[in-house]
Amino acid sequence: MTREIVIDPVTRIEGHSKITIQLDDRGEVVDAHFHVTQFRGFERITQGRPVHEMPAIMARICGICPVSHLIASSKAVDDILAVEPPPTGADLRRIVNLGQIVQSNALSFFHLSAPDLLFGFDADPAKRNIIGLARANPQLAKDGIELRKWGQQIIEWIGGKRIHPTWIIPGGMAQPLTAEVRDRILAGVPEAIAAVERAIAWYKTDMVRWEEEASTFGNFRSAFMALVDRNGNVDHYGGWLRVIDADGKFLADRVDPHNFNDYIGEAAEPWTYLKSTYWKAMGYPDGIYRVGPLARVNVADRMGTPRADEELEKFRWRVGRVASSSFHYHYARLIDTLHCIEKIESLLRGPDILSKHVLARAQVNRNEGIGVSEAPRGTLMHHYKVDDDGIVQWANLVIATGHNNMAMNRAVLQVARHHVKADKLTEPMLNRVEAVIRCYDPCLSCSTHALGEMALRIQLMGPDGAVLDDLAR
Amino acid sequence: MSPGAAGTLIVGYGNSLRSDDGLGWHVVARLAQDARLRGANVLWRHQLTPELAHDVGQASLVVLVDVSVEQEPGVVSVRRLEATSSAGSAWSHHLEPESLVALARELWNASPDVFVVSVGAGSLEVGERLSPAVEAALPKVVETVISLVTEHDAGA
Repeated sequence: MTREIVIDPVTRIEGHSKITIQLDDRGEVVDAHFHVTQFRGFERITQGRPVHEMPAIMARICGICPVSHLIASSKAVDDILAVEPPPTGADLRRIVNLGQIVQSNALSFFHLSAPDLLFGFDADPAKRNIIGLARANPQLAKDGIELRKWGQQIIEWIGGKRIHPTWIIPGGMAQPLTAEVRDRILAGVPEAIAAVERAIAWYKTDMVRWEEEASTFGNFRSAFMALVDRNGNVDHYGGWLRVIDADGKFLADRVDPHNFNDYIGEAAEPWTYLKSTYWKAMGYPDGIYRVGPLARVNVADRMGTPRADEELEKFRWRVGRVASSSFHYHYARLIDTLHCIEKIESLLRGPDILSKHVLARAQVNRNEGIGVSEAPRGTLMHHYKVDDDGIVQWANLVIATGHNNMAMNRAVLQVARHHVKADKLTEPMLNRVEAVIRCYDPCLSCSTHALGEMALRIQLMGPDGAVLDDLAR
Repeated sequence: MSPGAAGTLIVGYGNSLRSDDGLGWHVVARLAQDARLRGANVLWRHQLTPELAHDVGQASLVVLVDVSVEQEPGVVSVRRLEATSSAGSAWSHHLEPESLVALARELWNASPDVFVVSVGAGSLEVGERLSPAVEAALPKVVETVISLVTEHDAGA
């Protein structure tokens, strides 16, 4: 006889989901699933729209990372127009994208995950939140707020609006950068670097406390994928796709992102709206790989900026050349953030950053286009087909959380096997099952393009569907 | 010094694509043009988020404008948040007003006067227009906010 534990929905992530844990008649975990229970369907509702509208529409997928969709969508439309944005236009897009990664990473680490790390996974949920964080470690809480605010200001000042910015358009940017905005952003760089370096120092000091979690939170062998530049450094905007195996060996390198369909397949399961992508050469479901901050630090030779490279060296000394535990997403996310800040400064100090030439104009010159960039949670792909009038006929989005779907399911199973010892639901067990999902910082709004409410309900169900246990938070 | 000069923060919040939930956007659009509030920090946000605690922490007066499903459509009310209010929800994507104020108090040792001006919602359906009841209440909401600022300024 098998029984089933249901955690519905999962909290402190972006969107709506539930987790089910299957028990056998001895109370042992035999399987676990991470279900995404929401659906909106941007790929269908955009059919029939003029292609120039796509970035603005796609940005509405998510309120946390709209810039990522603007970037990938604009790049896909660039491809259809057969234009390349002028170098300054591309650099401004890079800066906005990096600003968004800073604010999103700050949300994930400081606001969503730090309470677990600071108070412990077994602490009272009434205390284990941002208010509790502010009381116990005000500097950490303040650093998170200031980093997020700085990243959002970059989006607002360069992109035109804090959420759903409008200045990133096909062909480049709608407006050039002013010296005043450049200087305002640069003025915040020293404090932003100090904030994230304080967090890294705190994390490294305390990480010994989380050794058990590091060994059981999605600690398995898999491939990793990210974009790298021509020198093998992390590239959040362009470059080539690189995929490594669990030992760091290249499965593919210098893959033109336009050819991603040759390498990546998508599978659908009846129990979730979230698609699972897989490495075609290994087939489904064996072709599991991970994307996001952990993949970026694993895949790249270097970050490409001095402070982040110094921290990357320490990271690899501590956890190995290829970190296998998903718990290390947290650590990697901080290094990723540090790199983004350094890169923003370097781009803003470029000699042509105030150039007025930021936009290339063209009409439809191709019937198909692909845009790929790194979003906070990993590699993001937009693929469109249009008719000769530029009307969208077909669209497909491959989202970071979809790349990570199989890895998240495996991580939930691993944590459940480690912590679920009986058929009675307990808070500590639930906290850890949820927390392992939170390592990936999944964005379900993005992955299914929908919104969700946050609450927690857990049910333990028998094989006939009867509720054996019920827990609500 | 104008009534809204340094130290006043006004935040209208809600979803401008959900009819009356966009009240905050409509109010802020009017207040931003009002000379009586020159110098005030007037913001529109989809929701209250932790980073707003920084702005609250720098203010001596905070006015939050939102709709309420607990009031009759178009009815305007003013609620003062006491400094001792306990934190409400501590969800990190968006905060209740009490949590926002608590966060500012913890991190910036701030204790501004905080008021929530709310209006009973008539419709929260998809749309950019206010319902007739809330549309009619709009001038009163604007004047209520300005009165709060003026009174605060007079007492400062």
